[in-house]
Amino acid sequence: MTRLILKRLGLMVVMLLGLAVVTFTIANIAPGDPARLAAGPDATQEMVDQIREARGFDEPLPLRFAMYIGQLARGDLGTSVYTGRAVARDIAQFLPATVELVFFAITIAIIVGIPLGVLAAVWQNRFPDHGIRLIAVSGAALPMFWLGLMLQWYLALQLGWFPLGGRLGVFDDVPPQFTGMITVDALLNGDPSTALTALWYMVLPAAALSLPALAAIIRVNRAEMLEVLGRDYVINAKAQGIGPFRIIAVYALKNAILPTLAMIGLRFGWMLGGTVLVEGVFDFPGIGLYAAKAAVSSDFEPIMAVTLILGAAFMFTNLLIDLAYAVLDPRVRNQV
Amino acid sequence: MTFKLLTSAAALLAMLASPASAVEKRDGKYWMVVGSRQAVSHIDPGQSYDYSIRMMTLALYDGLVKYTGNPPEVEPWLATDWTTSDDGLVWTFNLAPEATFHNGDPVTAEAVVYSYKRVLELNEGASWMLSDILRPENIKALDEHTVEFTLDRAYAPFLSFLPWWFIVNPAQVEAHEVDGDYGKAWLAEHDAGSGPFTMERFDQGTAYWLARDDDYWKGFPYDSDDMGGVIYRIIQESSSQRAALMSGEADLVSDLTPEEFDVVAQRPDIEVTSSQTLATFGLKINTQGEKMHDINLRKAVAYAFDYDTLLQIYNGKATLQTSPFADAIKGKVDIDMPRQDMDKAREYLAKTPWPDGGITLEYVYVQGLEEQRQMGLSLLNSLKDLNIDLEMVPLTWANMVARASSPDTSPDLMAVFATPVSTDPDAVAIQYHPISHGKYYGSHFIEDDELTALIDQGRKLSDWDERAPIYAEIQQKIVDIQPEIFGMLRMRQFAHRDYVKGFVDTPIRMSAEIDFYPIYIQP
Repeated sequence: MTRLILKRLGLMVVMLLGLAVVTFTIANIAPGDPARLAAGPDATQEMVDQIREARGFDEPLPLRFAMYIGQLARGDLGTSVYTGRAVARDIAQFLPATVELVFFAITIAIIVGIPLGVLAAVWQNRFPDHGIRLIAVSGAALPMFWLGLMLQWYLALQLGWFPLGGRLGVFDDVPPQFTGMITVDALLNGDPSTALTALWYMVLPAAALSLPALAAIIRVNRAEMLEVLGRDYVINAKAQGIGPFRIIAVYALKNAILPTLAMIGLRFGWMLGGTVLVEGVFDFPGIGLYAAKAAVSSDFEPIMAVTLILGAAFMFTNLLIDLAYAVLDPRVRNQV
Repeated sequence: MTFKLLTSAAALLAMLASPASAVEKRDGKYWMVVGSRQAVSHIDPGQSYDYSIRMMTLALYDGLVKYTGNPPEVEPWLATDWTTSDDGLVWTFNLAPEATFHNGDPVTAEAVVYSYKRVLELNEGASWMLSDILRPENIKALDEHTVEFTLDRAYAPFLSFLPWWFIVNPAQVEAHEVDGDYGKAWLAEHDAGSGPFTMERFDQGTAYWLARDDDYWKGFPYDSDDMGGVIYRIIQESSSQRAALMSGEADLVSDLTPEEFDVVAQRPDIEVTSSQTLATFGLKINTQGEKMHDINLRKAVAYAFDYDTLLQIYNGKATLQTSPFADAIKGKVDIDMPRQDMDKAREYLAKTPWPDGGITLEYVYVQGLEEQRQMGLSLLNSLKDLNIDLEMVPLTWANMVARASSPDTSPDLMAVFATPVSTDPDAVAIQYHPISHGKYYGSHFIEDDELTALIDQGRKLSDWDERAPIYAEIQQKIVDIQPEIFGMLRMRQFAHRDYVKGFVDTPIRMSAEIDFYPIYIQP
């Protein structure tokens, strides 16, 4: 097991380096002049050149790449041309919000998706199955931002049940920052009411964000359950008179859950990067909004940093899923 | 703990029961929530500016003078009065003796000298406005309240730029200098000003809290002491802004679509303002391009363009340009502008190397801006009659700026809102001078010696009676050589709850920029 972890971690470093090469190249050959944009529309050529020189944009590309890698090795993610702030500081501010949102969304997807997948399989081709499949198809088909807008329009604006956007009310006190995740920070600060409020603000964006994952979980879980329920050992268990709940929960679900788990892992990484639309609709100040703003402004260093961090998160969740596989399935463990 | 949980559960139930919240006091004061799209990257008046930065610096700092009113006039502010030498070189300003910074330090002539030198030496932000006529060593404090500027040469627009030069407290800035950075890092998120507001909270990308300075040296133009301050909150989507305004989560919003403004205006508790701006919208033509260098082709396209569609796209909340200058620009005269006339368009086309059309022109516009896409479609439709094809290319703003940097890459037509930073006619005229080539509004790359000479002449003279006829000639000349299809002046709109009082818009402000000073809440 240790060998597997070390091998995978080593591979991750190589893959991240490759990702850095790709993002750096794309960012630097893409059109757009960050120095001119940062200097402002009326700036003189001299002012633009001053920024270009100060930021090293006038150096040859290979030298700039070497400087960039050196910088990364020192743990420095660079500086935003626009805000003049360290990118690491921005990411420390915006990433926890997104992680918190994604965790909440994936939790919703799991809690709702897995039972629905099971129910659909158990009642295959009967009324509940049709209903659940409708949810699954809608989840895959509806654009996330549209769903977000609809939820916002109806549940927030028409019914007033939820806030329109943000992480907390504008007059709410933000708890002292330990992790950057408001719910966690508020609980650490002994303030469950703020944690609850923060959770309340996340319900709609998390619902919009979770629907595609929810749909995928239902589909995969339903298919796996159907397959497992048809296997000999389940039929055998039934013949021995074991109760249906025990058969589903213990015999079938345990074996059907593995592919679902793998899919959830992939979804987690995908959702981290895919929050941009939902964050835009709900003005949720996370990494998605930050990256989108950087992208339209040709602010390279934040874009590259976000890509690397999301890439690393994606690889890391994959590793965790593989490890979970190894723990749950002895055949996988033995292969290692 | 249990009690707290119960109270929060009760609060949640209350939220469920009452969707729309009316204006509320926090610590006994009203805080006005402004919903807008653009984050504030920093609040240093010496570094770059855009509308949100300018809005913040205007609230936190004072300049020697300030733009107010409609039409915008330069009004005394930190400077109570000023004199100019006969040759237009020496400008002497007398400061209000009672002016103080937020920490109580007096605003002195030395602080003015320091602030101007800081911007000139940093050579960022507003520096370009004065850098070629004012050297740091030629700014002097004559006594505690008198400051003198000696320009390299007479420059009529000098005063019109000063509202964007804000005075910082040297003592505070120097105390936070790191490696001779003129306090840039610290000033990015902290204020050292004397303005009507102080920076209370800077939540990057989320909300920015400006606390009203009850002891502001100039006082406020309203009696109420109930105003606590302004929260500038980032709300990206126009639909979310509309929802926030209607639910009472925001008191004033800026970025609704024309249709949304019409919808919210129907509500009795919401007021919609509408006023003209200095920003002109036009299609910049690359006059050094392969085809558009031909003046007759430029004229043909200008006469084919359907100007009325522009007004329809904006629900009538726009007026067509009657000069390259906006109405609030000093010295604006009405010029006979091209309007849609397909016969004339065909006449001009007949004089080009492509009398029967058969060519394709490129139209570049900002990706995601539906109005600009519609303008392109309208042009595409008109040009079909001339057998000219239009390739519509949506680009991000960053890529458009990059395309505009050289005549080789500049598109045939580029949709651009150009906002001058001053009401002096030079601020618009200079956009058609080679000095502007490569900037987004200079993507026309127009080269006309006669026009250049006129612009140079106009900015050197200080007597308005001598300048006025030159600018009348410049306006006619620009239209004659057609470096752009002159479009419209869009009305700028804001929507606010009816308890928001004192809101005034001034054409000089950039897109969604607001002057918070005169605004207050009175339920």
